[in-house]
Amino acid sequence: MKMNGSHVILSFVCLVLGFMLAFSYQITKKETTNRQLERQWNKEYEYRQQLIEQQEQNKKLQAELFKKQQRVREMEKELASEEQIYFNLVEDAERLRMYLGKVKVKGKGVEVTLSDASYIPSEANATNYIVHEQHVFQVVNELLIAGASAISINGQRLSHRSYIVCNGPVIEIDGTQHPAPFVIQAIGDPNVLIAALTIAGGVKDQLTSDHIVVDITEKSEITMEPLMQK
Amino acid sequence: MWLPLLGLVIGILLGLLTDWRIPSEYANYLSIAVLAAFDTLIGGIRAHLQNIYDEHVFVSGFFFNIILATSLAFLGVHLGVDLYLAAVFAFGVRLFQNIAVIRRILLTKWLESRQKNRL
Repeated sequence: MKMNGSHVILSFVCLVLGFMLAFSYQITKKETTNRQLERQWNKEYEYRQQLIEQQEQNKKLQAELFKKQQRVREMEKELASEEQIYFNLVEDAERLRMYLGKVKVKGKGVEVTLSDASYIPSEANATNYIVHEQHVFQVVNELLIAGASAISINGQRLSHRSYIVCNGPVIEIDGTQHPAPFVIQAIGDPNVLIAALTIAGGVKDQLTSDHIVVDITEKSEITMEPLMQK
Repeated sequence: MWLPLLGLVIGILLGLLTDWRIPSEYANYLSIAVLAAFDTLIGGIRAHLQNIYDEHVFVSGFFFNIILATSLAFLGVHLGVDLYLAAVFAFGVRLFQNIAVIRRILLTKWLESRQKNRL
């Protein structure tokens, strides 16, 4: 009977031990799965964090890129406007050079030929029947006033510093002598120029009354050589 | 003889079938308790083999060791000192010693029986 009692106590001890063992085993197992889940979750979180960081960086870089592109565009615009300015300057310079007679010019215009009178009555003074430099002056001034861009006399370009002097039977333009007849070519709007010359009581009438033969022709194209540098 | 084995099997089944959970921070105490139980059991076997087995000492030692180890671990956690290590160390060393003693006793018994057979 005593043997039996000790066995009961021993089996109770074994029961407690078995229970504890199994319970511990179960808990450990669950915990490991839990831990695995947690680890997975942590990893996921970490990756997500990295992704967010990356995206933020991308955003920042993109903003920078946009800013830089904006700057490039501004610079391009600036360059374009500068180019426009330079282009305008070149155009201006070209036009000014044209006015100064430094380049060859070409365009529509008129040609005025002043010739001495072909018939001189014997009792009259011959000087009243030939072309004088003031007649040339009159024509040139009228043409300039009417808006001619370039003028030449007998093929010689006139500049803003040109002079015309009477030198006996010939006239001298910038030191070059020219005999009559004088062919004055002017580049400009032919209609305006011709109208200016032939206005009633104008240059043509005055010249005609001075017994000069005036011949005005419209030219579709006149080419003028540049002024000789001296 | 098979009654303690039956108890063990029933205990294992109960442990596997129970579904209530304990918080993970108490799992440490449980492992300490298991270690203490093992130590006492091995000690009991050794005592039995050395013929100094006392049922009262064994049963009281079994439960007292479990409670002591658990309370020691509890105290350690609350004091900030890893006192459960002391329990693990003490029980572990004793476990090995007891197993060594059991091994020697069994070995001498086996050798004696062989010599007897030879004679």
